[in-house]
Amino acid sequence: MTELNVIGKSVARPDAFDKVTGGRHYPVNISMPGMLHTKILRSPFPHARIVAIDTSAAEQLPGVKAVLTPKDVPQRPFTPVYFVPVESKSMVLDFVIMSDTVRWVGQPVAAVAATSIDIAEAALELIDVEYEELPAVFDPEEAMRDGAPQLHEHAGNNIAKNPSLSIGDLEAGFAEADHIFEGVYQTQRVHTCYMEPRVCVVDSDSSGRLTVHSSMQHAFGLREKLAFALGLPESRVNVIKPPYIGGGFGGKLDLGFIEPIAALLSLKTGRPVRAEQTRGEDFISTARHPIKVFLKTGVKKDGTFTARYIKSILDTGAHATHGSEVIMVHGLYGAFFPWKCPNQAWEGFTVYTNNMIGGGYRGYGAPQGCFPIESQNDEICEALGLDPIEFRLKNTHREGDPHPVLEGHTLSSYRLDECLRRGAERIGFDQRKKAGSSPGSIKKGIGFACHPLWVSGCVGFPDIYEHAGAMVKLNRDASADIISSCVDIGSGQTTMLCQMVAEELGLDIESVRVVYADTDTAPFDAPTHASRATYSAGLATKAAAVDARKKLFRVAAIVMEANPEDLEIENGNIMVRGAPDSSVPMADIIARAESPFIQVGEQGPFATTLEEKGTIIGSASMSPPTNPSPAAAEFVELEVDTDSGEVKILRVVYAHDIGRLIHPNSAEGQVEGGFQQGMGYALMEHLQFDQETGACLSGDFLDYKIPTAVEMPAKIESIFIESNEISGPYGAKSMSEMCIIVPAPAIANAIYNAIGVRIRDLPITPEKILRALGKI
Amino acid sequence: MALTSVETFHQPETKNRVAELLQEHEDRAMIVAGGTFLHGLITRGLIYGIEALIDIQKLGLDYIKPVDEGIEIGATTRFLQLQESALLRDNAALGAIRDALEYPPMQIMNSATIGGCVASSCPFFDLPTSFLALNALVLVHGREGGREIPLSDFFTGLFENALQADEFVVAVRIPGAGKGCASAFVKLETNANDLAILNVAASLQMDPAGHCQAATIYIGGGVGESVVRAPSAEAALTGKKLDAGSMQQAAAVAKNDVDPLSDHRASAAYRSAMTAVLLERTLKRIQNRPG
Repeated sequence: MTELNVIGKSVARPDAFDKVTGGRHYPVNISMPGMLHTKILRSPFPHARIVAIDTSAAEQLPGVKAVLTPKDVPQRPFTPVYFVPVESKSMVLDFVIMSDTVRWVGQPVAAVAATSIDIAEAALELIDVEYEELPAVFDPEEAMRDGAPQLHEHAGNNIAKNPSLSIGDLEAGFAEADHIFEGVYQTQRVHTCYMEPRVCVVDSDSSGRLTVHSSMQHAFGLREKLAFALGLPESRVNVIKPPYIGGGFGGKLDLGFIEPIAALLSLKTGRPVRAEQTRGEDFISTARHPIKVFLKTGVKKDGTFTARYIKSILDTGAHATHGSEVIMVHGLYGAFFPWKCPNQAWEGFTVYTNNMIGGGYRGYGAPQGCFPIESQNDEICEALGLDPIEFRLKNTHREGDPHPVLEGHTLSSYRLDECLRRGAERIGFDQRKKAGSSPGSIKKGIGFACHPLWVSGCVGFPDIYEHAGAMVKLNRDASADIISSCVDIGSGQTTMLCQMVAEELGLDIESVRVVYADTDTAPFDAPTHASRATYSAGLATKAAAVDARKKLFRVAAIVMEANPEDLEIENGNIMVRGAPDSSVPMADIIARAESPFIQVGEQGPFATTLEEKGTIIGSASMSPPTNPSPAAAEFVELEVDTDSGEVKILRVVYAHDIGRLIHPNSAEGQVEGGFQQGMGYALMEHLQFDQETGACLSGDFLDYKIPTAVEMPAKIESIFIESNEISGPYGAKSMSEMCIIVPAPAIANAIYNAIGVRIRDLPITPEKILRALGKI
Repeated sequence: MALTSVETFHQPETKNRVAELLQEHEDRAMIVAGGTFLHGLITRGLIYGIEALIDIQKLGLDYIKPVDEGIEIGATTRFLQLQESALLRDNAALGAIRDALEYPPMQIMNSATIGGCVASSCPFFDLPTSFLALNALVLVHGREGGREIPLSDFFTGLFENALQADEFVVAVRIPGAGKGCASAFVKLETNANDLAILNVAASLQMDPAGHCQAATIYIGGGVGESVVRAPSAEAALTGKKLDAGSMQQAAAVAKNDVDPLSDHRASAAYRSAMTAVLLERTLKRIQNRPG
């Protein structure tokens, strides 16, 4: 691959100083004169009809400016998910901001805007709500039974969606098998634990036009969904893109309750209204869906798959929202297509329950597919005495194969084999001992998992936004401004865009900035999700920089009396290729483009050309050409204390086919952060609810446990394989989600190797380990 | 959730004034020093009707001093101050305190106070379990003056204790131990900022021949309304040589001393099984700790 100046270097991130000094531009720090504060009254019941709401006492409390109840809220259902059209046919449209029926503990039933948070809270206590309780159901399989409490009229047996996929002849495939393996695998509800809460400030002007600040992952999605929720034309809503947010991880990928509530209260009062969720509210606002997977696989003696049947039951909670799409991604990219099997069938069920509504979370259904499949793959290898790495390679794709999901596309760069080989070598996989064979009560284990198929964006999905856009404006001091609505959710999108523009324009990184943008001024960009920003927003921004350079060369060619095709840029200078003496500072060319036609020099006035005039702006708005798959394998070494069941992760090796590294430190950060979340998923994280009342039992970090620095392994080694994806910017494809899909099965397989007993439900707590060992 | 009912924040400079204020506000006042427990109660919505906070940080109670053969720790002493105290170093009898201070995250070490962790009367905290094994006394002050309460009589239930309405904790006193005394503490937790799923503290008086003359063992973290004593385990060790056999024997009978609860963090069966594992670990620590 060609050596580049800025790409591939861990340049200083422009947002880093701001963040380590308090992050004053986080949306949570937005404040406006005259701003009101809102608090939301939430249902204490999991299922009830609201008979009456009396807000009169709250309205009379001094400092209270407005109160909102379901009757003030439009009742036309939509999907709050940012990345699809608001009335997408692929989604179940069942969501309204406030309703007379409550279906989960925590559903908003009223809201107050007041001059202080304390007054708003006090006012909530004065609102009198009369409920008629209804029977509730919390278990999705129970919810599917005849006679179970029904949540929505349109969904018989509470089944919101029931997609399926199949190829070949399943029965014949199982008949052909030498061995059949069956297992039931269960994943739990977990939260992304972004650091900045969901927060917004919404202002309205005298014409009723809204300006919205929010901690979210998609400016245009927020504009579209908020406008729809309020029944406004889109152009009446302007969403400010925050320069950075305090993490998203998929947890800020939908219209929350706070933005429309703050907007309605702002329209009522004519004042800016701020809403900030507490950590407890955040915990019941979004979560990765629990999915129970029934998995049956037929294999030949040599480990070749002959048949596979997969059934997935997803608990979507009170509304379908993300559950409409997570089930699809889980089926397509998490379960059905990653592995090659001639006879295969998958059936998915998105099921309503009186639990909290699920949301987005890195991996979006794939972690719930990879855990069962990679666990069972390990079980097959163990039972049949097969080499687990050869087994994986035998049953999945190779570079140059047709793309398993996208017809007419190929896996043009694809190095799963190299990920497995190099990862195995680094951790010393050939030294791995037989399962459960290590002596003493503290047992060591090594395990791994891979995921053979993922995305670099959304091309090829029905109904999902994929296009991106950017503008690049050159300044007379030889610097460039990028106008982009791509939200930096913490993983370095802003830095990456600057690197690409700096590379194309021959500038140093300090001369390129991502500047203010909002939905009024910037072109559309799909959300920061689906591992797409580098590939998709990167391609569009690079194209905008190329466009700016083309225009720059057009002016330079006039000034330098050269052919634009012969020009090149180096270190801020433009020159004719091969003639360094011709070099002219880029700043001079930009200045010429912006200067008057008649100029006055030492010798008096002289004319320039009209053709060279005009601010140099490059722009692009485009869909990415394809959806290349990264590949990854993760190897984990750990020890299990078989007296207490405690697990200590000792070492992690992660190998990832990234196409091309753009910013090595940020890529490593993704791997480490992904492992932390994946390790929490594997071992301890669990959003728990009382099974009688539906109340959250883990609403803060004392009860919701995530790995801290103390539990993290001392060493996480990243191996990046640069396969040079031909369609990607500089050869790049995606990074972010693979590194959270693989940790849970890798850890589960390592635990099996340590203790010789298989645990099929997450999280694998010390207690489950002791039970599996028969000690309790 | 803000504590909207608070109207006054007092910073008295004498112990008598604190007692007066407690009397004035009856049960609508709370003592505050490090603020960590108060914060926990507020964010969980577990506190209502508090109209006054009484900050006791101006009473000069942040000290650690030798008293007779033992030590006295002032109520507003931070965990970190205690950990850094020379009085704790090389003293096997106080090993349980050193062990208990290994667990909290730095934020807690910097803010939480000795008086607060005792007065909170929360059975999931660590230091009180280690104090109990060391036969600690609580020094309290009220309108009638000061009195001493054995820590084992101080805790009367979950978040409940023997303090009168006008009384507050001013210090914890650890009596001196004879030669040959060593103690240790072990905690089971999910991550480094967890409350104890279970914790165990033990203090053993050993004779020169390596026999246990007396044992004091306490178990906390979801095994009862308060931290509980383990008389069966103590009896199993008394008079025995501290070796693998006696340690396993004590561990095996310890579950008779607890009545664990099941909650979303662990089941009673797991807590019960861990009682034995943690006690054995604690005793091994003592064994490796020169007295």
